[in-house]
Amino acid sequence: MLESLVSLESMSLSSMDVSVLERLKWLQQQQQQQQQQQQQQVLSSTNASPELLQFHGTNNDELLQNTFSHFQMLRSGFGPNYSMGFGPSHEPMDGCISRTNSCQMDQADTVGVMLKNSEENIAFSLKSKRKSEVKTRAEEKTEKKIKVEAETESNMKVKSNLSNTEASSETSKQTSKGASEIQKLDYIHVRARRGQATDRHSLAERARREKISKKMKYLQDLVPGCNKVTGRAGMLDEIINYVQSLQRQVEFLSMKLAVLNPELELAMEDLSVKQFQAYFTNLPVLVASKPSLMVDAPLFPLDQQGSLDLSVINPNQATSIEAPSASWETQSQSLYNTSSLGFQY
Amino acid sequence: MERQIINKRKRVFSLQEKKNPKAVFARRYVNHLVPALSKINMNKPSSQINSKTFEQTVKHEVDMALALSAREFAWSRFLQHKLLSPPHEDPSYSPKILETSICKQDGTEGAEIKKKLEELQKLVPGGEEMNMEEILSEVGSYIVCLELQMIVLKSLVQDNIS
Repeated sequence: MLESLVSLESMSLSSMDVSVLERLKWLQQQQQQQQQQQQQQVLSSTNASPELLQFHGTNNDELLQNTFSHFQMLRSGFGPNYSMGFGPSHEPMDGCISRTNSCQMDQADTVGVMLKNSEENIAFSLKSKRKSEVKTRAEEKTEKKIKVEAETESNMKVKSNLSNTEASSETSKQTSKGASEIQKLDYIHVRARRGQATDRHSLAERARREKISKKMKYLQDLVPGCNKVTGRAGMLDEIINYVQSLQRQVEFLSMKLAVLNPELELAMEDLSVKQFQAYFTNLPVLVASKPSLMVDAPLFPLDQQGSLDLSVINPNQATSIEAPSASWETQSQSLYNTSSLGFQY
Repeated sequence: MERQIINKRKRVFSLQEKKNPKAVFARRYVNHLVPALSKINMNKPSSQINSKTFEQTVKHEVDMALALSAREFAWSRFLQHKLLSPPHEDPSYSPKILETSICKQDGTEGAEIKKKLEELQKLVPGGEEMNMEEILSEVGSYIVCLELQMIVLKSLVQDNIS
């Protein structure tokens, strides 16, 4: 019975050239190799073959729906006992279903794959919390977009797994015929591109590099003016400059605060009002003053830098604060008291 | 993550003001700094105004406020530790060697990058103990908190000038 499935797939494979297909096929092959014994035990039962044949005979939509519902069940509960009546052989059955589904026609295949991907994304994001299941499931799922998980997970192992699968999602577009032998049972799960080394070290390195480049991209968004510079060294330069300028400004401001400190009149409720005032009004100011910061950045070694910045910034602040400040204080009290904060210019 | 992106692009004011991380930081910061400043004000004799130690104390409080308002990040713990422990000169200053697997294709650029990363290590509190990836993740949050700190300080200064 298995042979019939394999033959069916090989026939349709020759006509198609979808990399996803190959990967799926390879995955399921591996799975079945692992669970060969289980299969043989189960397949001896008589109800196996008629059900499989049934799936063979159905048309695309039904198969699609079956896989879709299959993944929905995955999402709802882990270890679903699918209604086919197979207990232990659930996994190979899934493999069979998805394989036959993907074997059929192009459109259905791509749609099915897309569906599967979106479902897998959701399913995987849930699964990433349960490591014991991830181990077996990780081999099934290959395409993920889990930037959220990768950013927030503190566990290094899961991190490597997630980032690796993300790496694999990026490389999934390219065919990987010979390179697909790197599947390991542990968390490292990266697909090699065509013509690249596939030993464990280079894969791990590549995963690391992709993580690092992702972080650099995030920093690029954060630091103003990083877009124009290309290359890691230039960006690092910009980042260093920016951090230094921020730190210097903080120092300058704290010195100024120390000077003014004796005259501080701080009532607490005033303060919360003013804090929000500052928060709201200074945000646009800070954004507007960033160009001035960046213009000054090349003049970095100059020691008047701090005062230069502030003198540039202050007029901006003054103009933007003066106008709304009068009405702001009366309004901001009410703003603060009510729970809804609307930004009113 | 999406929330952060939204916060960056447009100003989001939610009904639940407590959840907005920037507002949380700002509130914590001010709540720590202002009482500390007024305490400094009260405790010191008036002759000490504008002396070096006074400025240092204020700076200390400013840094402490930063460290306490951003407890979720590793650099804040390092900063706090550095502030709490008595200031000591570290002659045996040895930054943790950055892993050399930054290796890009050209070796010369790798050396440059390494130098820059070492500089960055010195800037970020606790950077000496982090390897490359950790630094990159910590630097992002450090930058954001520095910016927020600047906003608060500017507003404090501004309010007291006018």
